[in-house]
Amino acid sequence: MKRSMLLVGLTLLSLAQAQKTVSLVHSGAITGPTSDVGGPYAAAIEDYCKYANEQKLIPGYTLNCIVRDDQYQNPNAQRFLEEALDRAKPAVYLGYATGAMLALKSLIQEVKLVAIPASAHIGLIDPPDNTYVFLPTSSYSEQVVALLEHIAREKKGAKVALVVHPSAFGRAPIEDARKAAAQLGLSIVDVQENGGSLDNTALLRNLEQKGAEYIVHQNVAGPVANILKDAKRLGLDKKIKQLGAIYTGGNDLIRLAGDAAEGYLWASSYYTLEEDTPGMRLHRELAAKNNRGVLGQSHNYTAGLLAAAIAVEAMKRAAQRFGRIDNATFYDALVGMNGPNAFNPGFVVKTANSPEIDFTKSEQTGGEGLRVLEVKGGKFVPITQPFTSTLFRKVHYGK
Amino acid sequence: MSDFFQFLISGIAVGSIYALAALGFVLIYKSSRVINFAHGQLIAIGAFIAYALAAWLKLPIALALLAAVLATGLLGFVVERVFLKRLVGQPIISVIMVTIGLASVLDGLMYLTPFGSGNFSYPAFLPQEPLRLAGITVSYPQLLAVGFTALFLLLFGWFFQRSTLGISMRAVADDQMASMSVGVSVEKVFALAWAVAGVTAASAGMVVGTVSGLNQDSLIAIGLAVFPAVILGGLDSIPGAVVGGITIGVLQNLAAGYLNRFVPGGGTELVIPFVVLLVVLWFRPHGLFGTEEIERV
Repeated sequence: MKRSMLLVGLTLLSLAQAQKTVSLVHSGAITGPTSDVGGPYAAAIEDYCKYANEQKLIPGYTLNCIVRDDQYQNPNAQRFLEEALDRAKPAVYLGYATGAMLALKSLIQEVKLVAIPASAHIGLIDPPDNTYVFLPTSSYSEQVVALLEHIAREKKGAKVALVVHPSAFGRAPIEDARKAAAQLGLSIVDVQENGGSLDNTALLRNLEQKGAEYIVHQNVAGPVANILKDAKRLGLDKKIKQLGAIYTGGNDLIRLAGDAAEGYLWASSYYTLEEDTPGMRLHRELAAKNNRGVLGQSHNYTAGLLAAAIAVEAMKRAAQRFGRIDNATFYDALVGMNGPNAFNPGFVVKTANSPEIDFTKSEQTGGEGLRVLEVKGGKFVPITQPFTSTLFRKVHYGK
Repeated sequence: MSDFFQFLISGIAVGSIYALAALGFVLIYKSSRVINFAHGQLIAIGAFIAYALAAWLKLPIALALLAAVLATGLLGFVVERVFLKRLVGQPIISVIMVTIGLASVLDGLMYLTPFGSGNFSYPAFLPQEPLRLAGITVSYPQLLAVGFTALFLLLFGWFFQRSTLGISMRAVADDQMASMSVGVSVEKVFALAWAVAGVTAASAGMVVGTVSGLNQDSLIAIGLAVFPAVILGGLDSIPGAVVGGITIGVLQNLAAGYLNRFVPGGGTELVIPFVVLLVVLWFRPHGLFGTEEIERV
């Protein structure tokens, strides 16, 4: 009897050793403010986790995905992260909001946990406490500077207004945008905050009086759609051209603004849903398989897939290279993701000179390429080749 | 000067949306002295029902809107019957806490539907080109907001002044015990108030959806945005809700138009209405048209 029990025990132990578990934690706004971004983002993380386990992407490991809804509340995000650190010892934290990530930077540094946030606030990868934070794609600041470069190419000395979300997320690129505008010979005539208003007549009239020829948005799709509709109503759509960073655009904007979105310019690193790349094929497959409906049509679903794919790839490499996955090996695997070891999942564009996703200890932005897309006939279509903003590095890092 | 009139007209249009949303809120308070914290959720549910009927079941938009109004009215009625009926005669704070819980439950249920985290738009049913007159432009959704508000104001005016049921509701609001003693069914009055509040909430939700698209959080936020309007107008006054709503809308637009240009980042439209509200409450603590309650000892 004793012998058989010992045998059973040993079998269970060997099974447990053969298939270990590694945890990934995501906390984001599945409900509450900005859940139109956070919902598809979290859905994509869940779907990719399922896919990773089905395909056994991490040899010898089962991926345990902990997805929590922080409702865009910083205290919730902090609580979930602390709880996960205590109970699940995650190898990576897929964060979300700018505010929560800025608040958690010192904790992330202290516990040496790699964090890959949905927020692309440049302050997250700037010192201090920036060692373990990595942005999947270019920062908001780089996106806005790239849009200013596009404006400068289109019209020298143009007058530009910035309309931003009233939060750390919205204000993130203002300083770099001012410096870039000065270098490009553009003038920033006004910076206004707008968190969503039923009527934007006053905002638009004021910007018109200040001579704004372009409005650059750093916001989410809802407020931008309202401004576009009001601009059309006031006949300002021909007079003032509007552009925006990553979270302003996508299918959500077209759905909300309708015809008023025509001509809107959008800086995005992601391929569109119609493009034929391995990543976008996977996007379509997972969204259909998991019945994601409207969530699966969002570029924020692509963004969630990318974040999860980077995490899973680093786990896989850590397991293969070091034989174990923990905070330290995950970090080493991630910062080794460059040169011939760069990661090319097919979710974001790459430039002629850089791979799709690469990280080093000092280069904490994954996908550095982006394109400007324009709404034509109810769809975003690229109007530039993928490029990186050289001016952004000059104004932000002084090099 | 044309800017001033444009800001004024746009402010009236936005204010009409606030007023429309505030009507249901005031109606429940007027009949039962309950502040309904789930009003934003009723607004969102009404708007999404209309969308589901129009976009998924392909009903003609007018029919979808009408059906959504009736369905949300029915929901208001059911909510009262199921959750609030048992609380008749209980302290008002208990009922208010139930409405806070109800808001949370309805929120959670909506997130379980496909509408939870998405952005949607009604199929276009109004002319896209705005009306232009003497340099002032007004969109058709804005006109719809003004029209709905005016219609409900007239209907409620007649209802509370002329109909037996409306007079019963006023009586219940004034004194539940006295009303019961003369044969008024307080339960029926409460249920009716919630049903009618559901109808106005759905109308407000559909107007907001037409103006700025459908997003659960934005729709629910309208339910909270009406607080300054109803407090300014007086919590138990239907005309007060309309005047309060329009005043807040106009103040917001004028502040955004004339003050934001001097303030870095803008945002005065979020502050000025509250400053005016404080000043008004200083002189009229019960709001512009609210009932002044005098307690004799």
